[in-house]
Parts: sequence; C-alpha cells; structure tokens
Amino acid sequence: MTAGELLPPDDMTLAAAGEALASRLPVRGGDVRPTRRSYYDTFDGLLYAAGRSLVHEDGHLELVERDSGAVLCRAAADRPAKPLFARELEPGPLRDTLADLAGARALLALVELRGRERRFDVLDDERKTVVRLALAEPAVNGHTHLRARLRITPVRGYDKELARVRATLEADLGFIAADQPLVDEAVRATGAVPGGVSPKVELALRGEQRADAAAVAVLRRLLEVMEANLEGAIADLDSEFLHDFRVSLRRSRSVQRELRRVFPPEPLQHFRAEFRWLQQVTGDSRDLDVYVLEFGDFRELVPEAMRSDLDPLLGVLEARRRDARLKMEKALRSERAVSLLGEWRSLLDGLEALDSAERPTAAQPIAEVAGARIRKVYRRMRKMGAEIGPDSPAEAYHELRKKGKELRYLLELFGAPLYPGEVVRPMIKTLKALQDVLGRHQDREVQRATLHALAAEVARRRDGTGAVMAMGALVGRLAEDEQAARLQFAERFAAFAAKDQRRLVRDTFA
Amino acid sequence: MSVVLATYNIKGGVGKTSAAVNLSYLAAGAGAPTLLWDLDPQGAATYLFRVRPKVRGGARKLVGLQSEVEGLIKGTDHPGLDLLPADFSYRHMDLALDGFKKPTRRLHRVLEPLEDEYEFIFLDCPPSISLVSESVFEAADALLVPIVPATLSARTFAQLEAVVGRGPQVLAFFSMVDGRKRLHRAVMEELRAARANVLDAAIPTSTDVERMGLERDVVAAFAPRASPATAAYAELWAEITARLHRGGV
Repeated sequence: MTAGELLPPDDMTLAAAGEALASRLPVRGGDVRPTRRSYYDTFDGLLYAAGRSLVHEDGHLELVERDSGAVLCRAAADRPAKPLFARELEPGPLRDTLADLAGARALLALVELRGRERRFDVLDDERKTVVRLALAEPAVNGHTHLRARLRITPVRGYDKELARVRATLEADLGFIAADQPLVDEAVRATGAVPGGVSPKVELALRGEQRADAAAVAVLRRLLEVMEANLEGAIADLDSEFLHDFRVSLRRSRSVQRELRRVFPPEPLQHFRAEFRWLQQVTGDSRDLDVYVLEFGDFRELVPEAMRSDLDPLLGVLEARRRDARLKMEKALRSERAVSLLGEWRSLLDGLEALDSAERPTAAQPIAEVAGARIRKVYRRMRKMGAEIGPDSPAEAYHELRKKGKELRYLLELFGAPLYPGEVVRPMIKTLKALQDVLGRHQDREVQRATLHALAAEVARRRDGTGAVMAMGALVGRLAEDEQAARLQFAERFAAFAAKDQRRLVRDTFA
Repeated sequence: MSVVLATYNIKGGVGKTSAAVNLSYLAAGAGAPTLLWDLDPQGAATYLFRVRPKVRGGARKLVGLQSEVEGLIKGTDHPGLDLLPADFSYRHMDLALDGFKKPTRRLHRVLEPLEDEYEFIFLDCPPSISLVSESVFEAADALLVPIVPATLSARTFAQLEAVVGRGPQVLAFFSMVDGRKRLHRAVMEELRAARANVLDAAIPTSTDVERMGLERDVVAAFAPRASPATAAYAELWAEITARLHRGGV
C-alpha cells in the first residue's frame, strides 16, 4: 500500500477522473499537459531501502518519500544524461542527503515515464494550496501503458486537509489506494525488480540440509551477484560494481576451499585455478580504484604545505588505472572468462546428482560440515596469532588476515543462517575489529611499496620532484601508521582469542 | 548550514516584507530550500502567502524551545519555499525572550534544528530596536536593510550601523525609489559613494509591489517578467548572493 498514490475507479478515463475530482474538491488548474518523469536509484537500491525515490521532472531533481509522496528536498538540475554522483550536484541539502544515502555509488536511471497529466491544486478558503494532485496516464519508456493514477503531494503543515482530501477521493469518488508505488509498477513493467540488486547473500539454510545442496545454494547466489555486477564493472559505472564482483568472487573461492570435499576433486581444481585467475585480472583495477578514490586521505596525511605537491602522483595513478581497466576489460570479455562462469553454473546445477564416492562430506548435514570448518579455522587463527609479535615479518600478519577472511566468510555465509545470532554476531564483530587492524597494516605495507615503485615515473612528470618529496613524507606517515596498527594488534587479537570466546566456539560449533 | 538573512530597518513601511517575500521566492526558485520566518506580529508576509497567522503555543513556547519548530512550518504555494508563520503573540516576544538566560541567543537556537534542511532562512523583522532585533542580529549572517532615499537616509543608516555594532554583515539597498525625483538620485549617489555596503540594485516604487497585497502573491508570480519590480528583485538577489560569497558567510 502506498499513501501517496491512488487509482481511479476501474473504467474511469483521465478526463472523467479529472471532472470527478473537480466537482467534489475546491481545485485550481487541471489542464492536460505532457509529462516526462524519470526515476533514479543506485544499482543496489540504496534509496529504495531508505524509503526514498529520486525523481527528475520539470528541470528539478526531487528526493521524495516513497510512501507519502512528500518532497523532502529538491534542486534545479538538468536531466542526468549519464550516471550521476551526489558529489556532482550543486552544494545544498539535496547533495548532502544523497551523499549520505548513496555514498560512492552512482545514481542510475531506473525508468522514465511519459504521458499526459492533469495537475490540480486543492485550495482552502484563503485560496491557498493545501494539497497537490497529479492525475497521470503514464507509459513506461514511452510505450508500455500503465493504468491511470493519482499522485498526491502533501504540502507541509496541512495534514488535516490532506486527510480530508483523501477521504473525499476514496469514500465519495471511489478511488482506491495503489498497492505499490508507480515507480515499482513501472520498474516491474521493464522486467526488473524494484529495490535493485543487492550483493548480500542472506539465504535461509537448514542445519540438516545436505552440505553439497547448501554449498550450491550459496555459490549460485554468489554467481548471480557476480553476473549482475559484471557489465557495470566493465563499464565502470561506479567503483562498487567491481568491488561487489570481486567480493563475491573471493567468497566463492573461500567456499570452494573450505567445503572442497563436497566437490569432485578434478573439476574443482580447475575452477579454483580459474577463479584465482579472475581475481588476479581484476586486482590491479580495484587497487587503483581505491588509490584514486581515497587520494584525499593520502593528501590529508602530508603537511598542509605539501598537499598540492602530490597532484602529479594522482595523474600517474589515474593513467595507470585507465591502463589497468583496459586490460581488465579485455580479460573479462575473453572467451576464457565468459565460458568460465557458464561452466561453473553447469557444475553447480549438476553437483547434487554426481556420484558422492569422491565427495566425502557431500551428504553430511551442512551444520556439521560448516561448524567443523569454523572451529578449525578459528583454532588455526589462534595459533597463528599467538606467534605474532611486534617484530614479526609483515608476511605473518598478512597470512593471518587471509585466514581471517576465510573465517569471516564461513561465519557470514553459513554461521549466520545456521547458528544462534547471539553467538555469531558478536563473533563477527570481534573478528572484524581484528581484521580492520590487520587490513590497515597490510594496506600501509602495500601502499608504501607502490609509492616506491611509482617514484621514478612520477619524477619524470612536470613538478615531479616536489611530488616525489611529498611522497617521501607520505611514506613516512604510512610507516608510522603501520607501526600503530602493529601496536593495536595485541589488544584486538586478545579479545578474539579470549578464553570465553574459545569456549563459545567449542560449544556452539560442536 | 543555512545562511540566515534578516530584512531589517528601525523604520517601518520601507519595503522590508516585500523584500523578504520576493527574495525568498527567488532563492527557492533557484533550487535552494528556503524558509521565511515572519517575525512581525502584523503578519504581512504570512498574509501574502495566504497562511493563517497562528503558531501553536505562541511566541513563549517557540522561543522557550518547547514547541517543535519543524511541526509549525507551512509549505507555501511555491515549491521549495516554506513559511514559519507570524502569530499575534509575537507582539510580546520581547517579554518572552527576557525570561531566559542569554535571551539574544534564543532565535538562533530556535533555528538550529532547521540548519540542515534549509539553505536560506529569511527573517522578516518588525521595525524596532528591541530584544527581538538584538536576537535577530545574533541569529543572522547578514542584515538586508531597505532604505528610502531621503535627506535623513544617511543618518538613519548610521544609527542602524551603531545599533548593529560588530554583528552580522550589513547590506543596504534603496527601496521605494522614484527615479524621476532629483533628490532620490542625489541621495543614492551620495550614500553609495560613501558606503561600500550600499548595493547597486534598487527597488523602484511600483504599482506591482503595491499590488502584492491585492494579489496575495510575490511580484514575479503575477507581474510579467518585464516588470521593473520583478527585474529589480532579481538584480538585488544576484547582488546579495555575490556579496555573501565575498563576505564569507
């Protein structure tokens, strides 16, 4: 149900509906005019999830509350011709609100409605507009015609009048509340699903389910996310397509490894190698995406007087990013990549029917198999972490972090749906805190190496000498931060490996 | 953060409300979410927007922060432009303010919850020197001061600057100008030469401005685009926004 939109009685034409409401409500206006109304959201539906719609009409972008139709903020803007980022808007409340809602994600055109519309202002006895009505006969992207509907836009501070207008429309004129907002109906008419494509897995698994069936369910969903994000990653609509693609890829690899005994060894080995290749060919692009996106943070790390000296470095990073993306596109469009995902799907589709002689844990209950893995990886991490001290090589931290990712995926993909939330949630939280420190340590290590590797190229650019000197200052700050992460490690690891946490793991995942 | 602009003059009948109403309309029309708070108990701006001059709880609860200010705001007929209406109880706002510690901070605190929502907040102030005007000086980033060109203009302006002291930026503009009068032209020339904060744009005496009370709307909504008053307000708004950026508010 949506409070902001009503449907006229079944057989009522636009003209008749207009006459009907003009006869019962004190209105002004009502001329028929052409309309063009476009809706936008991020690929993963962040605005939808927040109960908002972004609409462009009549030279303005408006952020609208989905349910009530109330306009929350608006700004004059041209109709976006390409993916729109909040940061590209003029400063003001609309930009701020969209930046909070969408972050780094691009706002993409969802659907465009064109058609005829009659707009009415409902007036009070001072002839002040207290409710706005728009009666429209929209067509999706200019062809699929949808049923006529009445959009109600409240005017702030006139709630009682709004309630009276609704009562008249529904009780006296036979309008009924629409069961879904127009934008959702329009999105469905294009064959898409309202709410966008989430990268989340969120499956309902049962503990007694066969391990291979559960693995297939999870891996199929991950494959879906990869496929859904692939084109956006190649087209570089925003940085999150590639990121979500790679996270799902890494999670898939983790399941391949942790639940390897539900697969026949031969094809699994092939897919593991191919997935590793896919991860590699997308790695440089992602790394460089992050460097460019977070360049502002680098700038903040060096003394203020040196900040603009870093600009040539950004130029080099951007150039490298372009090269990396070209290489990545070539790899992702290759026969090898295209057939890989298809063959992987075939394997998943046929897995449960395969002979289980070579798949020792395939028929075991998933809770048992996943629980054993969680216990084991946790124990392994405890051992690895116990051996790490402030002077350990960076490699030791990195190896622990990689194990930590395994554990995190196991907990998120299987722990969360199969085991009590009051155990799994805090465990993920403690693990995340540990991973944050390990991640920071690793990032700083890699960033320092990257800066060293880029120094010669930056030096050849205009103003390159100043840039290299600023990079030197930056490397110093990164090394300090890496050291700080090492010092934080002991505390975070102690919480992760604490005695009661160990007991909880032993008891829960037994 | 909102930019708070107050139309103010010690004298009445100089075009404060007309300026507040028309400038806030122009601000909203350019896409900036805008609020106009009609602080004048006579409620002329409220009348022009056809809103009932009634604020639940009155001045006392509002400046006492006991009313939720968000719930008192009314949308005008113009998209992006909202109104916090006048109320007859505003005639005692001085008394209401006087009951609080740091009374001159109160108006600022009333507006605080709205800072993320509006890019511009206009205050249409009653003509007086009082606790209300002192509060306005604390709340405002800039005072927009209409001046009628007359022999005493310079003196009035000097008085006003003395009252404002080290408060907000003061931007003055000529209002109710009759370009045919030599005296008007002379006074304007003189004051502009003497004061850097007297703007070039000036609002002419115009039947269109007078008609606002009859039409109950902003000039631009009923007068043709070519109307001198419409053009004058547009020029004034452009000059104010340019000055605001320069002034760093």
